[in-house]
Amino acid sequence: MASKSSPAMQAFGQGLWSNNPIAVQVLGICSALAVTVQLRTAIVMCLALTAVLAGSNLIISALRRLIPRNIRIIVELCVISTLVIIADELLRAFLYDVSKQLSVFVGLIITNCIVMGRAEAFALGNPPWPAFMDGLGNGLGYGAVLIAVAFFRELFGAGKLLGVQVVPQAFYGAGYQNMGFMLLAPAAFILIGLLVWVQRELIERQK
Amino acid sequence: MSGPTRSLLFTLVLCVVCSLLLTGAATGLKDRQQRNMRADRQKNLLQSVGLVASDQRLSADEIQRRYDAQIRQVWLDEAGRIVPEADRQPADLPLYLYVKDDCVEAYILPIDAPGLWGQINGYLALESDGSTVAGFTVYRHQETPGLGGEIEERWFQKNFVGKRITNRGGEFVSVRIARGKASEVVAPERQANYVDGISGATLTGKFLSSGLETVLTRYEPVAVNFRQNPTCPAALPGAGG
Repeated sequence: MASKSSPAMQAFGQGLWSNNPIAVQVLGICSALAVTVQLRTAIVMCLALTAVLAGSNLIISALRRLIPRNIRIIVELCVISTLVIIADELLRAFLYDVSKQLSVFVGLIITNCIVMGRAEAFALGNPPWPAFMDGLGNGLGYGAVLIAVAFFRELFGAGKLLGVQVVPQAFYGAGYQNMGFMLLAPAAFILIGLLVWVQRELIERQK
Repeated sequence: MSGPTRSLLFTLVLCVVCSLLLTGAATGLKDRQQRNMRADRQKNLLQSVGLVASDQRLSADEIQRRYDAQIRQVWLDEAGRIVPEADRQPADLPLYLYVKDDCVEAYILPIDAPGLWGQINGYLALESDGSTVAGFTVYRHQETPGLGGEIEERWFQKNFVGKRITNRGGEFVSVRIARGKASEVVAPERQANYVDGISGATLTGKFLSSGLETVLTRYEPVAVNFRQNPTCPAALPGAGG
């Protein structure tokens, strides 16, 4: 996709598309099932994860020559958990109702394999700027899948988008019903499966 | 510098930096967070008596205004009598009254009950007849999301409305969470005392049932007073404020 551009832009594009954390690396599925019932929570989760991922990649990459190899995993975890707790505190101060809906899943960003995975696979071996862009790309790549899944789940499950009713009342009058199944976790599995399929098919065609 | 010393030193510096950052964030944002939590508690209280819908989004100021206008906090002594703030004893229980046109429409008990993984905090509102449940809300819990965590959801809470804490003979029996649909697993004459349970969260239901019973038993004296005296305007000495 971005073969002629700088390494930073390349890293960004890969996370977003050809090496998408959910569709290609198949990481972070757990939270993708849990927070995609509504578009609003998915967007906030996307922003929180992107901020944490870009921040942790930047810090770990900047420290990469200083971090003693034998304790690097612990150091990564320490940086990541600090960032996650700060993100959680900020959410509770400024977006309290969303933070209640996200409940444990913000805290669980710490154990989200994407964050650890990018720190290990990219940030430790690359300079800060490309590492930051890699974090941004992967975070937004994760978020894009989340938002796509949440879009379909909220639309078909509740007839709403961002909490606003979009399916007109006349439809319900004519016998239309919300798909209760969309609100359950298995629906997210099916949607993610379909998205992975479509996306991999498109990547194949590009080659 | 040798390997282990360097690792130790690095860890030490990292820990100090991280803890400084966390302390800064926690103390700096504390006021805002507490204001949010208070607004959330007040909103839940209003919700338990049906004054606010669960999906209604209100600013903290608006919630405070409605709360001040319609809710009064009072204290109860052992006999269930309302005592003025000045004569309050340490053992007295807090109670909230929903007052409308000088009548007590409902009274609200704060719930603090053990759940499966941690405390469950919420409100149980009872109508002024002293036996009908007006509403139930949860504002804090640590139950498993999707299972026991459903106690904070509207579908579970709305089943409480209209249930009774007394049996047909008027004796106190508390309100319990059934293991499944109340209409299927509970004898017809007791269905008024049971709400539908959450599948996959039998233990949360069990803990909540016994927690509600404990709280309701503690507040039984005031419920007896209301049952004998559901009159309006309610004779509530010292309830002003």
